Amino acid sequence: MTVVLEALNFLVLVWLLKRFFYRPVLAVIEKRRADSEKILTDAATLRRDAEALKGEYESRLAAAGRERDLALARLDEEIARERARRHAVVEAEAAADRQRRQMLEARESREREALLQRQAVAVAGRFATRFLERLAGPELEARLVDLALDELRAAAPEQLAVLAAALREPGARVEVVTAHPLDGARRAALNAALARLAGRTLDAQFGEDAVLKAGLCLAAGSWVLMANLRDELKFFTGALEHGA
Amino acid sequence: MGKPEFLQLLSFQLGPLRIGATVLTTWLLMAALSGLAWFGTRRLSVATPSRLQTALEGTVLALQQAIEDAAPGHARRLLPFIGTLWLFIVAANLVGLVPGLRSPTGDLSLTVALALLVFLAVHWFGIGIDGLRVYLRHYLDPNPILLPFHLLGEITRTLALAVRLFGNMMSLEMAALLVLMVAGFLAPVPLLMLHIVEALVQAYIFGTLALVFVAGALQSHELGKRSR
Repeated sequence: MTVVLEALNFLVLVWLLKRFFYRPVLAVIEKRRADSEKILTDAATLRRDAEALKGEYESRLAAAGRERDLALARLDEEIARERARRHAVVEAEAAADRQRRQMLEARESREREALLQRQAVAVAGRFATRFLERLAGPELEARLVDLALDELRAAAPEQLAVLAAALREPGARVEVVTAHPLDGARRAALNAALARLAGRTLDAQFGEDAVLKAGLCLAAGSWVLMANLRDELKFFTGALEHGA
Repeated sequence: MGKPEFLQLLSFQLGPLRIGATVLTTWLLMAALSGLAWFGTRRLSVATPSRLQTALEGTVLALQQAIEDAAPGHARRLLPFIGTLWLFIVAANLVGLVPGLRSPTGDLSLTVALALLVFLAVHWFGIGIDGLRVYLRHYLDPNPILLPFHLLGEITRTLALAVRLFGNMMSLEMAALLVLMVAGFLAPVPLLMLHIVEALVQAYIFGTLALVFVAGALQSHELGKRSR
């Protein structure tokens, strides 16, 4: 009977250990193993995802590299075009600047030349003035009066018509101013020449003015004849300046 | 003749059944093993196992691996029976070292009971695989003439299983008692150390033989099926 009781005891112990020992411990081990496998599976999934992402990233990187190369090529072309355009602009600006500078230099050259010419004319005028001032005198004045008489004789018909019209005006006065006192013969010659033009006898008023230096200044109404050294020099200087 | 035993004083009669020291010690071991199992598995953790849980898991895994090596594919099925055999016999052999207690495996009634259970388990698992007829047929292999030898082998190995454990444990305790009587107080200490080794070895032998018998029944069935 004890054998049977011991056998039953052992079977009860088997049940107890199976219920309270093997089953829970094996369940925990299985749970841990399942968790480990799940972690491994998740890790493998993550690895696959990571590799897929890596591949995608590499392909995107390659595409980005191609786009970058393309953009760089476009940029190079654009830079070359822009460089050529700006080079052309700079060339045009340089040409315009060069032309402007040439024009400026030419103008400066002309102005400098004109200035030199004016200075030369002024020097020439001063030289001529001083030279003629030294020559001025009654002899020169007599010759200038003779020259004026010759001009009256050889004047153009239009000029003579204007003079005659001025002399025929009622109350017209003829005034003759000289630098030195004029001799009687030349006064008579002037009166005769004016009377012939006016067609009547005239009584010219004679006077002296040293400013004229030599020669005469004849005023008949609005008509004036300048045949003196001052006005000739002024005319000469002005003609030189205007001629320059 | 025997050493003084505390549980002998608590033995009692339950009808026709005599509840002696062996049964009481068995109950004590059952309570201790079940209590330890309950205590160790009440708060199992998957992530952070305690030292006790680690030791229990290691024990179960070692038992399962040993069974798997002998009977591949049947470890989960055989673990409760074979594992309990190992654990119970180790505990039963070692409990004799506790003063006032005696190894229940030094009693023939327990070893016979265990051997009978092994005998029945061999047939139980063998029949459970593919049915009674197919299982019984392997006694006729390779020739029906060998049937008596098969039957004789079944009886003798069961008897040897029971007597081997009983004889070793009983003789070990007797030897320790004799040395104590002859040589004095501390002389049996080396023998008690030998008791530990012998307890583990005998438990291992009994459990391994039981496993081999059961695995043999399973594999002979599979071999028979393969040969057919």
